Amino acid sequence: MVLSDQVNVIETRQLGKTFGAVQALKGIDLQVPRNSIFGFLGPNGAGKTTTMKILLGLAHPSSGSGTIFGLDVVRESIAIRERIGYLPQQPRFIDYMTARENLEFAARFFFRAPSASVRARCDEMLELVGLTEKADRPIRGFSGGEKQRLGIALAQIHSPELLILDEPAAALDPLGRQAVLEIMERLRHQATIFYSTHILDDVQRVSDAVAILNHGQVVASGPIEQILSGKDGAVYTLTLRNAPPNFAARLESLPWVTHIRLSEQNGHATYLVNVADETAAEAELLRCALADPAVTVTHFSRKKYELEEVFMEIVRGDSHDF
Amino acid sequence: MTSNLQVRPMAEWSRLRGFANLFHKESRAWWGTRRWWLNAMIWPGLIGGLMVNILFVPTFASVANPAEVERAGGLTGYLAQMGTGVLFEFGAVALAIGVIVLIQDVILGERQSGLMEWLLSQPVTRPAYLLAKLTANSLAVLVLLVGLPASLGYGLLSIRLGAAFPVWPFLMGVGAMILHTLFYLTLTLALGTIFSSRAPILGLGLGSALGGALLGSLFKPLLYVTPWMLPKVAALLANSQAAPPAVLWAPLTAAFIWCVIFSGVALLRMERMEF
Repeated sequence: MVLSDQVNVIETRQLGKTFGAVQALKGIDLQVPRNSIFGFLGPNGAGKTTTMKILLGLAHPSSGSGTIFGLDVVRESIAIRERIGYLPQQPRFIDYMTARENLEFAARFFFRAPSASVRARCDEMLELVGLTEKADRPIRGFSGGEKQRLGIALAQIHSPELLILDEPAAALDPLGRQAVLEIMERLRHQATIFYSTHILDDVQRVSDAVAILNHGQVVASGPIEQILSGKDGAVYTLTLRNAPPNFAARLESLPWVTHIRLSEQNGHATYLVNVADETAAEAELLRCALADPAVTVTHFSRKKYELEEVFMEIVRGDSHDF
Repeated sequence: MTSNLQVRPMAEWSRLRGFANLFHKESRAWWGTRRWWLNAMIWPGLIGGLMVNILFVPTFASVANPAEVERAGGLTGYLAQMGTGVLFEFGAVALAIGVIVLIQDVILGERQSGLMEWLLSQPVTRPAYLLAKLTANSLAVLVLLVGLPASLGYGLLSIRLGAAFPVWPFLMGVGAMILHTLFYLTLTLALGTIFSSRAPILGLGLGSALGGALLGSLFKPLLYVTPWMLPKVAALLANSQAAPPAVLWAPLTAAFIWCVIFSGVALLRMERMEF
């Protein structure tokens, strides 16, 4: 059954993959929402590429199941592949053809159209990825970044509903990475983008949702804001000068404070305050500090985690519920 | 951003989805690059050059064994027999080696470079991928490696005889040579799906092409279940020489069956291949 208005484009249930004695995927459950840019994170060897290859029909699952657009990834792979575009980790295309010829070749897998229309579509894709000037050069001489951009154009040639990009910016210099991220941003409203990466800055910049894979298991998944808010709920940072010694005890006595961590440096005391009630914390925490006229507040904010912090904590700790 | 693309959906048999496009790509690798004219020069040049040497250089005629000349019905008949021997016996083995070298990379190269992974991530069935390789490469090989040398050979033989060489026997010889070539083509494709390095692909193929006849001479029944006697059979057929039916038909039938088996093995391996 194909549901065009499905909430999730990709769904896997206990998807597993074994290579001999090695369990590469240990029953992963994944939900990729429609029209999202979904980052699939994990250290090398976590199983990201294996998952993508199973979704594309390039590898067979050992257990569990998966669907894309409600279609089974094993039994209905061709119907799925008609509606998706894929960029492999190390893109390799037909090197005796030019960029335009590669695009025309890829287009013929999906549709028949008058040659002028196909050419116009290829031009559009070349413009999207900034390769118009190199359209008629054989790709043999392309740099890694140019091949990566051509790969995105090839994946997008038939305007797929889903783009699967395996490490789209891994081998690129900062400018190349920037270009790829900009292309992904431009495609945001046209397709769901499911991409793997280990460049966490990029994920934080463009993703709507993420899943973190470690040792073949999904150890965290959800909207990026949820992931970045940390597993300990809301945390506020309060930095004071001349804080009285009993200030931490005063904070602990507040009913909505669940935990406090104190660090001191250069006469400044920094309190990381975990709270159960964000509204109460925002209304009263600062007031509590200012109640003492000797105290100077130098910083007060809600703590926002960097994805790298969250990622490192999860991957080292291995299992968290977000 | 999307252009106003007037498209028609693909109308292909679902089991062979992607075949037409892949066939076009495989054919272009031959006919759209310098590969075609290089092969169009090498094989007719090699086989035709040797035939010219035998058919038209007086030195060869002067050292001919008189008894053999008499058996062949005269010097011209003898030289024509020698010429067909070069074309069908030496030629078939040379072309088998050529096919093995040219085809060994067709599947393995794409597997190793990652191109196969990308192609199979498109709406393409694996039988379509394999069949496109098989048909496009067979066509190019049969035209460039068999058709051109055979046509040239036919012309040279006719010139030497001073009349057209008998067509049907010659075509039967060419048919046997085609089967011999297809045996090595399907074998090499199948090996490309099995092994992940070139050494066993080249080793097994070349071992069969070069050492098969020797092995068959040590253990005669092998000659009836392999294509190793086909070069000799092709020459016998072309020269309208008499031979027991088993000598003619057993290797022809065996080679055909092997081609089907190798294609089936390649197909099974393709279906099970993971990336």
